[in-house]
Amino acid sequence: MMKVIDANKLSDLAAALAAKGYRVVAPVRDADAVRLKEWRPGQAIDTSAISINSAKEFFFPRTETIGRYALEGSEFKPEEVEPQAPRTVLLGVRPCDAAGLAVLDALFNWEYKDAFYNARRAATTVVALVCRTADEQCFCTSVGGAPDSVLGADAVLRSADGGARFILEPLSDKGKSLAADAGAALAEGKAAADPPAEVPVRFDSKAVTAWCGENFESPLWREVSLACLGCGACTHACITCHCFDIQDEGTRREAVRLRNWDTCGLALFTLHSAGHNPRPDQAARWRQRVMHKFRYFVERFGRLACTGCGRCGRLCPAALALSDVCREIEDASKAAAKK
Amino acid sequence: MQMIDAIRADAAKVLQEGRAKLVIGYRARGGHRGPVFLSDPAGAAALVYDDACKQNLAVYLRKPEVRARMPVAVVAPPAVMRSLVLLAAEAQLKGPEVVVLAVGDGVYHGVLDLAGVEALLKEKYAGLAPSPDLLRRIEELAAMTPEQRAAFWTAEFAKCTRCYACRAACPGCYCSRCIVEKNMPQWISTAAAEHGNYAWNVIRAFHLAGRCTLCGACEAACPQGIPLMLLNGMLAEDVARQFGAKPGYDREAKPVIGSWNPDDDQGFIR
Repeated sequence: MMKVIDANKLSDLAAALAAKGYRVVAPVRDADAVRLKEWRPGQAIDTSAISINSAKEFFFPRTETIGRYALEGSEFKPEEVEPQAPRTVLLGVRPCDAAGLAVLDALFNWEYKDAFYNARRAATTVVALVCRTADEQCFCTSVGGAPDSVLGADAVLRSADGGARFILEPLSDKGKSLAADAGAALAEGKAAADPPAEVPVRFDSKAVTAWCGENFESPLWREVSLACLGCGACTHACITCHCFDIQDEGTRREAVRLRNWDTCGLALFTLHSAGHNPRPDQAARWRQRVMHKFRYFVERFGRLACTGCGRCGRLCPAALALSDVCREIEDASKAAAKK
Repeated sequence: MQMIDAIRADAAKVLQEGRAKLVIGYRARGGHRGPVFLSDPAGAAALVYDDACKQNLAVYLRKPEVRARMPVAVVAPPAVMRSLVLLAAEAQLKGPEVVVLAVGDGVYHGVLDLAGVEALLKEKYAGLAPSPDLLRRIEELAAMTPEQRAAFWTAEFAKCTRCYACRAACPGCYCSRCIVEKNMPQWISTAAAEHGNYAWNVIRAFHLAGRCTLCGACEAACPQGIPLMLLNGMLAEDVARQFGAKPGYDREAKPVIGSWNPDDDQGFIR
């Protein structure tokens, strides 16, 4: 016997969980797009497409106050800030987002255990939604993932009976608690799981990792980056991109310490106060982007810092896509091997 | 001969003749369009042109890697042509640096220099205006009370992550040090939160007032779907009405907000 729910009753599941005190985050329709947002009662949950924003912001927010201080006379008074970590369920994130959490878990627990990230991670139950469809930007299968991967998920929703229902399969203790908390919103029953989407492999990521180790000075970086406008759209949309900028803002009497999303795409990212920039052009910045995800993270953590969600390719104003660049690298690697 | 064949032929020709070292045009990536940079005439076959070509390629003429390969040829629909004229008016582009493969609505006007582009714009594209749909939405916005409008924009700007794709995609945004990058003092909060997002988006619109040609690149670039054309369009309409000015038609034009004419209306000073 399985836990099943009618496909059009997902919002009832959300309501049941909200009644049990969960903050529910789910994909909902927002004008022309599907957006991962705090679910409001009455909202329909839209599983038709991958959300334009990733689940990252619910663990590592766009901006976060991590410290406060006041200046009283000549006395400096810092104030501890507690992480904001309400009990949350991510209801229906794609497997590429769930898998991205494994990358963030590694990074935010590296030499320093990030209390802010970890508090939210511990307080969140991740329910992944197996993909029935994929588009030409999806490339999870090229980076060791799959449309039905359960990495990073506490439970998984699988479409069943031709899309008429979902099967909810708890995977971890959190997932089991969630299934119990769902109560009558989930029925005991049987359903036949629908096949997951087919996502053709687009490039060989091992070839990319290998080539990156030997081609720091390659002219290819200049060619692939010419179209790049140097904004942060790709990094902000990316589930695994985690670079941040600490800023202090306030008045002479009191201030907050902020942690904001940063982006290696900006020239400002590595600009020194003396004016020197070790990554002086977009070629160097693109090299960094690819090497961080496909080489350095592998060397340090044994995994790629990319789960193939394809958002970078979908959202880039200059139609650049990491999967296209990886394919070019693989071609360059093959051409070099022939010589 | 189809329009695109003529464009491709001219792209190859300007490279062969040495009139340009680099051609910037549009390529297809499935249903999307992106820029393509050609230095080999044989690459001209990759060029496409259709309604989906919305990116403003003029933005690349401020990129050092592109400037190093001037003179550059650009496939340019009217919005891009206006941006090129604007850049010239603001001393960011010189005549010999650019050659234009001028395209219009279903028509190709051939290879022009900046003077030719200016003449073409005045002759055939003087009436460029926001679409009726955009005008209607701007009117709806204008009809709101200030509180309603503030609530509308607060909700829209809540989506902003401060990726600055709007700034990066805009040919008019070329400050070597943007106001958001200044922290002595911190003019605009860097936090992707309410008042910083509001300040950023409004200030960018203000810095483009009288300069924005409503090409739509910012709205197309925004990964969060914020309707930036409503903001820029409202200001552009105000500028057109109050100053009789439309940017991007005259290489000698003085900036609307940045210049003063003794004949300017001073009736509001009492």
